[in-house]
Amino acid sequence: MKKGMIKVTSGYERFVHWMLAISCLLLCYTGMGMMYDYLNFFGAVMGGLKGLKVVHNFTGVVFGVALLLAIQMWWKEAGVFVFPEDINWIMTAGGYLWHVDKVPETGKYNPGQKMFFLTVAAFGLLMFVTGFFMWFPGYFPLSTEMLRWLYPLHALGFLVIFAFFFVHLYLGTIGNPGTVQAMISGWVTRNWLKKQHPGWLKEMEHEGTLIVSDGEK
Amino acid sequence: MAEKIKLYDDSKCTACRGCQLACKQWNGLKAGQTANTGTYQNPPSLQPNTYMMIHYQDYVDPKGDVKWLFRKEACMHCTNAACVTVCPSGALYYNKEFKTVGLNHDKCIGCKECVAACPFEVPRYDTKTEKVYKCDMCESRITNGLDPACVKACPTGALKWGDKETMLGTAAKRKEYLGAVASTYGDKFVGGTHFMYVLKENPAVYSGLMKDPKVPFSVTVWKNWLKPLSLLAAGGVLAGSFLHYVLHGPKRPDPEPTDEKTEGGK
Repeated sequence: MKKGMIKVTSGYERFVHWMLAISCLLLCYTGMGMMYDYLNFFGAVMGGLKGLKVVHNFTGVVFGVALLLAIQMWWKEAGVFVFPEDINWIMTAGGYLWHVDKVPETGKYNPGQKMFFLTVAAFGLLMFVTGFFMWFPGYFPLSTEMLRWLYPLHALGFLVIFAFFFVHLYLGTIGNPGTVQAMISGWVTRNWLKKQHPGWLKEMEHEGTLIVSDGEK
Repeated sequence: MAEKIKLYDDSKCTACRGCQLACKQWNGLKAGQTANTGTYQNPPSLQPNTYMMIHYQDYVDPKGDVKWLFRKEACMHCTNAACVTVCPSGALYYNKEFKTVGLNHDKCIGCKECVAACPFEVPRYDTKTEKVYKCDMCESRITNGLDPACVKACPTGALKWGDKETMLGTAAKRKEYLGAVASTYGDKFVGGTHFMYVLKENPAVYSGLMKDPKVPFSVTVWKNWLKPLSLLAAGGVLAGSFLHYVLHGPKRPDPEPTDEKTEGGK
């Protein structure tokens, strides 16, 4: 570890993130293998389409657990908007879309990240609930019409989550160089933090919660 | 060969259930024990091992006369079949020759999507085999030039199997012969069904008969809209990210040449 690096995520945070991420990607893979007939060959590695279905169902349970942990963990920090700084940030689109001299400072999570979190939370829950009823349709007194609408709702959730996944992937890697380390080692440079989360850096410095590497390990 | 349909004429049906038994026999289906509920109708509804059945209904017509109505229920073999549209594995398919709806159990993964989608509520899921079952119009027979087993067994001519045009003509003639309240059922729905009825009463009178069966709107939203839109949205995001990267550029930390020194001097 280079000296002066700053710790931004705990091991638990990274664990929950990757549990959610890996289960989500596996669900996308198995789900797409079933949804698109020309992707049916995805089933080959799981012994056919039936294998996709079984893996999809049980991965859904892992995803549901990870999602609940993520919501419980991040709700306070990323689930609530703070005024007026979040509004000011949104007015500049965080400096992502046009040139902004000074992007308004926000707390640990900027409103873009909050929107992403809330979308994943809402649509993730939608996927979990609709998926559960699709798995066991006969065990609940659902009307035929209600049962029928579970499927397009599940597909809508996929549309949103799959598209958001690529936004997340881009912004977490090449769109914001240095960011990916937050979810790998958990340590980022002060320079990165100053650029991406200046408000949070000040907050931590003020409260004395900043963890800086002394370069020994 | 041409498109074919199976025609059921309830005015000729005596509810002998020879068809129901022939269906079981040809398809090698066992029967379960059921309870007497005060009707000849048995079993009470379609089952994984009952692809077709005769419904019995007491009906009091507007004149006060009691009539005993029979109806053969089975897969309607839609031209625009919701089950085929939703089936993820290709287990449900159209027979190329006759346009009936076949079911390949080797491919069925038991997702039950067809059970929810079918506008006639026909497919039945078997929890033991984890697969779905329904009438396939005796595909093994019709593709070899034979009539479906139920048609073969029918002693009164209530069931017929033949070219679509011929059967539509026969149905129209029977309807005219049977008089004002008689009707045909199936030809007007879901692109025309390959199993249709001549009914001596108005279809609204028959219990359990769908009034206005159609491919559910939810299936259209799901398969025709959201399915392609999902890939479009993901593709749009990828293209957008690429354009963002080359036009706007990534958000890099500001270079601070003094950074090293400051930290080194701590």
